[in-house]
Amino acid sequence: MKLVLYSGGDDRENATLDRAFIELIGKKNPVVTFIPSSSYFSEQEFRAFVRHYSKFRISRFILFPIDVPFDRILLNEVMKSDAIHLGGGNTFYFLNALRKAKLLTQLKDFVKRGGVLSGLSAGAIIMTENIDMAAYPEFDRDENKVGISNLSSLDLVNFMFFPHFKNSARYDAAFRKYTKAKSKVIYACPDGGGIVVNDNEHRFIGKCFVYAKGYKFPIL
Amino acid sequence: MNQVKKSPQDEGVKRSYSSFSRLSGEHPFKEKVPEGRVEYKARHKKGGKVTFFNFELARDMGLIPKTHPAELNPELEKEILHTFSIVIINEYDVINDIKFPEDEVLPNTYMATRYLQLQHPDKTGKTSGDGRTVWNGTVRHQGVTWDVSSCGTGGTKLSPACNLNKKFYQTGDPSVSYGCGLSEVSEGLETLFFSEVLGKNGFKTERVLAIVEFEKGLSINVRANPNLLRPSHFLGHLKQGNLKNLKQVTDYYIDRQIENKIWAQTTFKSDKERYAYLAKQVAKTFSEMSAKFEDEYIFCWLDWDGDNILMDGGIIDYGSIRQFGLFHAEYRYDDVQRYSTTILEQRQKARYIVQCFAQIADFLTTGKKKSLSGFRKHETLEYFDKHFSECKNSNLLQKIGFQKSHQEILIKGHLPLVTRFRRSFSYFERSKSKKGIYKVADGINWNAIFCMRDILRELPQIYLARQTHLSQEDFMEVIKSSYAKKNDLKITEMRRKQINRFQETYSAMIAAIEKASGSNRSQILLEVTMRSSVINKYDRVTGDSITYIVDKVKKLRPKLSPEELFQLAQQFSSYQNLDPDKKAVASVVPPRHKNIMQGLYSIVRDCREGL
Repeated sequence: MKLVLYSGGDDRENATLDRAFIELIGKKNPVVTFIPSSSYFSEQEFRAFVRHYSKFRISRFILFPIDVPFDRILLNEVMKSDAIHLGGGNTFYFLNALRKAKLLTQLKDFVKRGGVLSGLSAGAIIMTENIDMAAYPEFDRDENKVGISNLSSLDLVNFMFFPHFKNSARYDAAFRKYTKAKSKVIYACPDGGGIVVNDNEHRFIGKCFVYAKGYKFPIL
Repeated sequence: MNQVKKSPQDEGVKRSYSSFSRLSGEHPFKEKVPEGRVEYKARHKKGGKVTFFNFELARDMGLIPKTHPAELNPELEKEILHTFSIVIINEYDVINDIKFPEDEVLPNTYMATRYLQLQHPDKTGKTSGDGRTVWNGTVRHQGVTWDVSSCGTGGTKLSPACNLNKKFYQTGDPSVSYGCGLSEVSEGLETLFFSEVLGKNGFKTERVLAIVEFEKGLSINVRANPNLLRPSHFLGHLKQGNLKNLKQVTDYYIDRQIENKIWAQTTFKSDKERYAYLAKQVAKTFSEMSAKFEDEYIFCWLDWDGDNILMDGGIIDYGSIRQFGLFHAEYRYDDVQRYSTTILEQRQKARYIVQCFAQIADFLTTGKKKSLSGFRKHETLEYFDKHFSECKNSNLLQKIGFQKSHQEILIKGHLPLVTRFRRSFSYFERSKSKKGIYKVADGINWNAIFCMRDILRELPQIYLARQTHLSQEDFMEVIKSSYAKKNDLKITEMRRKQINRFQETYSAMIAAIEKASGSNRSQILLEVTMRSSVINKYDRVTGDSITYIVDKVKKLRPKLSPEELFQLAQQFSSYQNLDPDKKAVASVVPPRHKNIMQGLYSIVRDCREGL
């Protein structure tokens, strides 16, 4: 299983994660698909995405908005890509769109077949068991405008991922409380940080923290 | 008859928005073309409130300072109401000696202009023109003079109702609709949303400056454009053979174009050269406009009277304007007595208008009005045909997603290839359903079955990824629209050939650019992919979607301030900006608007292939 979970931040901050992403793909001029969280202004996001990854000599990209109907021809090409990147945005909207488009199973299969799946912020949360982290803590959450109650997601990893983390007492209290009540651990990563999963190996980039059973530890 | 009310200047009041004072009825057209207008006294109309004000346009026009926030302060609101809340004192009022309070009557007169209109019985323009519109005046800012007119300011004697029924109507008379002289908020909103979107996408168009609302959904809709003259302003005088008036209106128009620096050539050796240049400009404008309408699926009911279009090819009167999602080339609007033209017939109507301008140029030069048929093969029309064809090619290359320099490579060095691709493209674009012609809500249609935007958006991505052509079955899967039924999608021998030709010529164009530009195939396809994803966006606005959006906005409107309506129109037009070179990054949308905008997007999406 090859995954890259980006927290956020700019190109410079994400340089290490980007290199890891390219290494995971391990192929010359791969096909990379960008799945935006919403089609609204997705063309601009796509352009920025292409500009960024073109620096790594990638020139084959597919834009695949999933909250508008699509045909099976393009879907086939997407699922044959070498890597798929899930964009950032509203996690609830994104999950709802992926579920409506019946893509959750297809993405899992894609990963099982050896495809590299990366995600930024909302896109990274989507890779976990559920999108609880989009709704938590209360002071820093996405708005559930689509009103979904089933928050179960791709479930590709056995941890929760919290992006855009700021090391503060507020977050500490919230995540200690959460992990005391639930068995999952939370990996909290600041912008520029993230996690690279290569089968059983987890590599942490940036000043990340783990919350488990009510405790907090820095990841060194 | 009535006393006049003093304006704020008369009272020596200092006005922060002093440019508004230029919109009090005075207009150079009155003096330059005295017989081209009818003048009306006017009075203040009470009970108006500002529903919408276009801060961006007002800044461009110099009505408010460049740094003015998009906020309607009490002073600005008062100025807008003072300037635009007016109703004319028409013939009915005068004949029936209706008295109005002296302090409500305004000092200046306002003009309604005369122009040719097909629906008038005399068909020469002697009785027709602005039926419910008066011109407020002009403002000049940063080298551009803007015309401002207001619709819904009372019934004039130039309305069709007056002339068909040979009587004058009181403004607001419920027995006539159009002839009553009023307009509705929904008309203003429709024009607002449609014109802002089309304006962002490179169409010339009238724009809504303000909507002043009154009881029962009525409104005065204020429009602006650097020149609000239509071909019909000329064609009436031409039909009548009135050389004096024709010359006056033509000279007035030319002076404005030069003053606004629209024309490249500004000095002429003779009148002959000056009027020939006018005819050439009309040919250029109308060939570009009709090609763009055809390629962007804009239905604009063009007819020989030229009253549904501005002289610069700008769209005016959005009542019958539509943008189709597919090339529904057989759609006709049912106007009770007759059916409209179709999209494909627009070119001929535009050409006919150009022919009239060749005749006008000759008439003005020689003083003799020759038969229109004598200009059928005039060089201006040859230019029209040639330029139309050039525009069709460049429009298609733009639509595919080629950048300007790559378009030039193809146009200059590979025209036969472009033409071959265009033929194949048209074959699919014009394919129609086996269902045949059927009635729709406001006319008739024969469904197009293929969505060219979808194939143009997906093809470069698929080629990039798989580097081989699509199979015929896969091609049909991508290009089919929701209008296509199973029996519309049979892969006949002809269709097989066309699918192959489409893909072969597409790839050949990429190869030609590769050879000439030094970029490799992937780089070219990637650039086309990114541009095409904007140009051929999945959800593009249609006429139907605008109708539903206006319904939705109308329902929301009691809670929407003029500022919020302005922001919504801006956000919506920005989202529908399909120009890859000018597409802006999404602006931050206030939380309250997010839900509204989501609602508007889903309307656009649901109606994307319709009329």
